[in-house]
Amino acid sequence: MARPRSKRGDLIEGLSYREKLSLASGVFMSEDATISPQSKQTPLNASRDARALIRLIQCPQCSLPFRSPVTLPCGRSLCRVCLPQPHRRENISYPNTPDRLTAVGCPFEECGKEHPEGDCSVDVCLSKIMETIHDVVNSCEPVPGDTPAKLWEIGTGSNPGNAGLRDQYSEHVHFGGRLLSMFAMAVMGHLNYHAEAEFSSLSNEGDDYQTMDDAVLGRLRETTHKELDCHVCYNMMYDPVTTPCGHTFCRKCLARVLDHSTHCPMCRRTLPIPPSLEQQPSNVRLVSLLQGLCPELVASRAEAVVAEEQLEMGEMDTRLFVCTLAFPSMPTFLHIFEPRYRLMIRRSLEGNRQFGMLTYNQHGVSQTDLGNTTFKEYGTMLSILNVHMLADGRSLVETMGLYRFRVRAHGTLDGYTVGRVERVEDVSLAEEERLEAQDITAVPVIDSPMEGRPSTARFNDITQLPTQQLLIEGLAFVQKMRAHSAPWLHQRIIEVNGGPPNDPALFPYWFASIIPIVDDEKYQLLQTTSVRERLKIVIGWIRRIESQRWYNGGNCLIL
Amino acid sequence: MALPKRIIKETERLMAEPVPGISAVPHEDNLRYFDVTIDGPSQSPYEQGTFKLELFLPDDYPMTPPKVRFLTKIYHPNIDKLGRICLDVLKSNWSPALQIRTILLSIQALLGAPNPDDPLANDVAKRWKEDQNAAIQTARDWTTQYAKK
Ligand SMILES: [Zn+2]
Ligand SMILES: [Zn+2]
Ligand SMILES: [Zn+2]
Ligand SMILES: [Zn+2]
Repeated sequence: MARPRSKRGDLIEGLSYREKLSLASGVFMSEDATISPQSKQTPLNASRDARALIRLIQCPQCSLPFRSPVTLPCGRSLCRVCLPQPHRRENISYPNTPDRLTAVGCPFEECGKEHPEGDCSVDVCLSKIMETIHDVVNSCEPVPGDTPAKLWEIGTGSNPGNAGLRDQYSEHVHFGGRLLSMFAMAVMGHLNYHAEAEFSSLSNEGDDYQTMDDAVLGRLRETTHKELDCHVCYNMMYDPVTTPCGHTFCRKCLARVLDHSTHCPMCRRTLPIPPSLEQQPSNVRLVSLLQGLCPELVASRAEAVVAEEQLEMGEMDTRLFVCTLAFPSMPTFLHIFEPRYRLMIRRSLEGNRQFGMLTYNQHGVSQTDLGNTTFKEYGTMLSILNVHMLADGRSLVETMGLYRFRVRAHGTLDGYTVGRVERVEDVSLAEEERLEAQDITAVPVIDSPMEGRPSTARFNDITQLPTQQLLIEGLAFVQKMRAHSAPWLHQRIIEVNGGPPNDPALFPYWFASIIPIVDDEKYQLLQTTSVRERLKIVIGWIRRIESQRWYNGGNCLIL
Repeated sequence: MALPKRIIKETERLMAEPVPGISAVPHEDNLRYFDVTIDGPSQSPYEQGTFKLELFLPDDYPMTPPKVRFLTKIYHPNIDKLGRICLDVLKSNWSPALQIRTILLSIQALLGAPNPDDPLANDVAKRWKEDQNAAIQTARDWTTQYAKK
């Protein structure tokens, strides 16, 4: 099946990652009608599906059983000798390695692309499978002579008008049941890849040779199974992807390998494929083989893959990233390059596209129930909006803050932090109102000198301002600073973060995202449980800035 | 945290088909931690010796190599006083397609073919280059003294 051609820039615009994932899973399906939908649950049957089974190992180009098969970068396989003549590639100066100077035109119509010769290596896994199949077939020799059957081809291109009609010249007598007979037909070049085959037993006892077919398939399944194990996870391959050097791994395994290295685990050749494998098709033939021979194992592997991650995470079901301070409803941009965080981001994309952002516990402050952790316990859940994968595996990730949370337990999974979190939420509106009323009606605090500051009167009056007034004061300050062209209110910053929101619940997050004060101060906002509380903190900052008594790490902050 | 299938399979295979002259047994309470012994290869100064090592599979194994260290004192240009081993497949040449078995075989091979040109223990390597016979004799003596079966 054809993959959508990627247009420049479609990584970000155009298709969403989710859409691309669903397209990618389309590749996971078979290339032709070999696998019918119902066979997805039950394996192919030795006698009923003998033709389909033999087709699984036939080259679509020459119809012979694969001879040193090559799996092309588009995921389709053919014999090496069936590759078209290579031609010189024009107008290419990078990377200019000898094996990329020539290419073959893909003989599969659905693809038709130019595949550099260096990317057309023999498929090691498929070749080994072919070897084991030949071994099994040979070990069945001599085929019992008392198992004759007549076979003929139907619906080949040679007699299109008479499709289905019996052509006496295409009749063959073979021995050993359907599978061995049809294999023999294929080897002799008497069975076109696209053709069907009819089988009629010539047994005197009327034996249909079904038992024999079952036995042969049983042995084939057993022997090929070994070759279908992934060399990274030691499981049966799940969504196999074949590298340009001809080695095959589970898609997830190869992606993890590429988080750590650019070399093939088997042959150490540099892998010229983007590490996310997003555009890398599955090995269509191996997918069909796995699906045809052991669909129940494929299904249980798929379940296991999901369960594995969940099990390992256990209750620690939130991916956490200790990196920076983030706030709800505000964007955060990240540059991901460490392997473990690449993995974390990828798993987030496969899951709910979310992860929790925490900030470093720089001063080693004990965190309520967690003790002295490397991170501070309050954080913000981020949702991934866009991932821009760079060719070298780094990525630029654009996120949006969703909600605040507090970490209740934490651990690590494959190098990154995971945890159990609970949401930090604002009190109900009724309670919010009650708090405001309580503040406003409280007896005013009389000025009293405090910590070397001349007067705290102006600080204390914040407590008694109406919530709406707190917002107005905040917005007014922003207005004033803009008029003074404060660098932190530069147009660029406003473009990224948007203008100041009029929602009192959100204004503090916006303000904290752009104002250049220490993170320890901003961090307080993550712990607040009322809108009023947040606004009071923000207005406190503003008052201190305005009174020019705002120190930042010993240096007077110039705004 | 659950043990990955791969580690379980590797352990099972190590038990079912042990490598001659090598044993690796996981700790009962930590299946990522193995007690290893390697017999010195014949025709080498470590012949007749059995060397104890520890092997640990880190969290992101097999993406990163196992951590291996000699516990038995050994006189070898590529193994330092702390038992750390200078072996490419344990560092930059690690590949997830390698496994505990292949790593231990490589270490055994390193005993049979010391490489003083890529030393970890510089003093040993220097001696090895200057007076190979004397160095080999020291290696033999140490084997008798510390690695006796
Ligand atoms: Zn192609
Ligand atoms: Zn062919
Ligand atoms: Zn795998
Ligand atoms: Zn390779």
